[in-house]
Parts: sequence; structure tokens; C-alpha cells
Amino acid sequence: MKNKRHLFLLYIDPGSGSLILQIVLGFIAAIATFFKLFWSRIKMIVGKLFSKKTSDE
Amino acid sequence: MQSKSSFRDPSGFIFIQKDGIYRQINNNYKMHYDHLMNSGLYSTLIEQGLLIPHEEVNSSIATQHNDLYKVIKPQVIPFISYPYEWSFNQLKDAALLTLGIQKIALEYGMTLKDSSAYNVQFYNGKPVFIDTLSFELYNEGNPWVGYRQFCQHFFAPLALMSKSDIRLNQLLRVYLDGIPVDLASNLLSFKTYFNWSILAHIHLHAKSQKRYGNKNINTEKINNRMKKEYLIALIDSLESSIKKLHWEPKNTEWADYYNDTNYTENGVQHKKQIVEQFLAKVNPKTVWDIGGNVGIFSRLASDKGIPTICFDIDPAAVDKNYLEVKKRNEKNLLPLLLDVTNPSPNIGWENEERESLLSRCRSPVDMVFALALIHHLVISNNIPFDKISSFFGKISKYLLIEFVPKEDSQVQRLLSTRKDVFPQYTRDHFERVFSTNFEIVESQKIADSQRVLYLMLNHNFALS
Repeated sequence: MKNKRHLFLLYIDPGSGSLILQIVLGFIAAIATFFKLFWSRIKMIVGKLFSKKTSDE
Repeated sequence: MQSKSSFRDPSGFIFIQKDGIYRQINNNYKMHYDHLMNSGLYSTLIEQGLLIPHEEVNSSIATQHNDLYKVIKPQVIPFISYPYEWSFNQLKDAALLTLGIQKIALEYGMTLKDSSAYNVQFYNGKPVFIDTLSFELYNEGNPWVGYRQFCQHFFAPLALMSKSDIRLNQLLRVYLDGIPVDLASNLLSFKTYFNWSILAHIHLHAKSQKRYGNKNINTEKINNRMKKEYLIALIDSLESSIKKLHWEPKNTEWADYYNDTNYTENGVQHKKQIVEQFLAKVNPKTVWDIGGNVGIFSRLASDKGIPTICFDIDPAAVDKNYLEVKKRNEKNLLPLLLDVTNPSPNIGWENEERESLLSRCRSPVDMVFALALIHHLVISNNIPFDKISSFFGKISKYLLIEFVPKEDSQVQRLLSTRKDVFPQYTRDHFERVFSTNFEIVESQKIADSQRVLYLMLNHNFALS
């Protein structure tokens, strides 16, 4: 299934301007998601470090 | 007979028989339908109540046998409503349903090949997806074909309603394929350029369409560029952008509406009692409440399990009513936006694609409420009694109507800014004129007021 390409049904006009824009927006959104994830991990690690420190004290 | 609203998609069409509504699936959709049913996507969507369930029936019932693959019988939605009849949060929930389904579909190797708001209906108090043939197999690398349509049908109207004016949803009545993004871009204020999601999905979208609209683009190249993670990120970002769009009636012309009544507590209670009595007498199977505001009286019917539609002209009242339906998880009440002096017309191809309010009223509704409405129709809109009586005669079997006399403070308020050209606005004349279409079964005066509630029976049903 993975390498088999299917007939695009395409009965509505997707609009070339809309297609090009969504690829750019999808790319930006994916980068944003990556950084959000990255940031939440950093916050988690820092949070853990702090909680360790306080429990050590 | 093929449904007048089902002809654009070559995958199949809806047809109507005496015993119900069916959907023909054509051979060209076989691979997609089989995947929908066998991959587990269909059962997941049904379990979550997101898609309308159907059963496969003997295809001998089909009317067009060329290209026929299967016939399915979807569950029937009792009343079809349209996006220009929905309030802000109804349209927002329909948008979120569409995106939610697209996300689940991708998990099962499918994608939505369109994202029309007409694929969504309100049933049992919730939006549900009704187009079983909207799913197609997903090819990794392909962008979302329905993105443009999603922006036109959902994002643009919601952004306009939220950021410019709530009444701009009425543009959906003119633009059946959704509000063009360049028009939305022109109507939105400069401030919205600083809102990332509106900038991206409306303003840049409009510019991109203008730039590439007439150019020959290598679609083969485009169709390999959208990695699946980009697509999922795009859908996620659309979802969070839609969630961030809000509309509150505060600080608008609708703001004071709710405190603006002139009943005493005793009067309201008495009015409710009379409505309850009339309901018990008629025991209707369906109720329409015209001008029902936030649905206080509609709920007297819907709480008894009677399917009820509460129409109102005020987008704030309809939205408040819908949020209450959601909060109370009500299944029998459908709030809809309607200007009764200009109800939804027949529109679209051959004026038959989207039906008018009256065409959707296949036979008169068992019971229609017209409470605190008559003075707005006569005094504010100059509609004579005979026209009002004739309209209700078309849509109702039993009519529960409130007469608000000239002495009433609300009528005085309406008359304060205009010349009184209504010498015949009297209770006697009202009764005489309505008697041409109805038999007055009973009337009761509401306590602490001059108002009278009438229960009337349409002459066409008097003997049955």
C-alpha cells in the first residue's frame, strides 16, 4: 500500500495558490511544533533538576 | 429521484425513495469505500459519534445502474439546516468536527477530499459529518485538497464574525462555496494582519491565490512536497487557530437584549403554565418556536422529548441557546438563525440546491409557537395580519400565538419612534383575520399583563 499511488479524486479545485501556500504553512507549523516540543522538554528537564535540588536540600 | 443537492461529486449521489434516503456509490469510489469500511476508520468515527451511520442495502433499489457499486442507507437527519442558519459556535463546532475527522482519517491512511460546511448537520444536539463519500485514500506527499474550501467555508466566516461583524455569516447565503478569501481579506481590518493565523490563512492565502491563480504550476511537483508531518502540523495549527476565535455579544448592539422584557415573575410563570397546558392538549410530535430567543419556551417542549427547533433573528440569542444545548447535553433542541420576514430562500443550481425554509417544511409542523412575535411583525415590519395568518397556515397544524395589544409597553416602545398607521391592530381584528386559516381552540389571558395566548387549529386539519 505504501508505495502505491492512488487516483486523486479531485472533484473540487484545490487552487494552485492554496496548494503552494499550505506547503509553506505546513512547513512553518511543523517547525513551530518541533520548537514547542523542544521547549516543553527543556522546561521538564529544568523542572526535574529543580525538584531534585529542593528534595536534596 | 436524485437529490437536487447531490450531483457535484462523481463518487456517488443521494437519491430519495418513498421509504427513505439512499446513497449510491459508484465504481470509481470502490477502492476508497472499501478502505473506509475495512480499515477500522468507519467504526472509529461511528463509535465517537462523528459520522452518520449507514447500512448497506440491496443495490436493486438503485435508480441508475451504470457504474453502480453499492447502495447504502444512511440514518435520516430530521431537519437539514445550512451554515447561514448557524450561530458562531455552531459553525465553529462544525469546523472543529471537520478537522478532527481529517486527523483521524490520516491515522487510517485516508484524507478528506473536500471540506464543505454542507457536509455537517446538527443531530441530537451535536454536529455530525454526513458525507460518507468524502474520504479518499491518502498519498504521502500530497497536500490537502480541501484546504482552500476549509478556509472559505469555515475559517473566513468565523474570522469575519469574530473580528469584523457577526452578521457577515450571511455572506454564506450568497457564496455557496464559502466566502472567497480575497473578499474576507478586504473586509477584515488592518489589525488582523498582526494575528498570525488570520494573516496566514486569509491575507497571505488571498495573495497566493492572486499570484498563482493564472499560472501553470507543475502539480506533480506540488503533490510530492507536503510531508505527512507538515500536513498534520497544518491541521493542528488550523485547529488551534479556530479554537482561539471567539465571539461574545458584549459591547455590541445585542448586548442589552436579555434584560429587556416587561413581564413580572408571576406573568412569566403563568405564561409557562399556559404553554404547558396547550402542549399537553396537543401532544405534538414536533415543535417549531418562531422568534424563540434563547429557547425558554422551546425547552418546555424539548425537555419532554419533543424534537424542537428554536428559530431567532438574533445571533446572540441563537448562540446562547446553542451553548446551553451543549452544556445541558440536550438532544431534542436545535437553535437556528432565521429572519422570519426573509426566510432562507431556494438557492444554488436551478434554485434547487439548497432548499428554502418553506420547502424544508414538507408538511405542516404539529405545533408552532409564535410568542411575543406578532407586534414585531406588524408594527416593526408592516406585515398585515392576513399575511401572517397565511404564513402560519402553511407551516403549522396547531398554532400557539401570543397577542400583544397596543397598550403593552413593548408595543408603545415600537410605536414611540413612528407614526401609528395601524388602526386595525386590535384583538378583535386579529381574531377575525386569523379565523380565515385557523379555528380558535382556546385563549387565555396572561397574568399581570394585557397579553393573550391563543391555541389555534389549522382549518385543513380540523376534521382529522
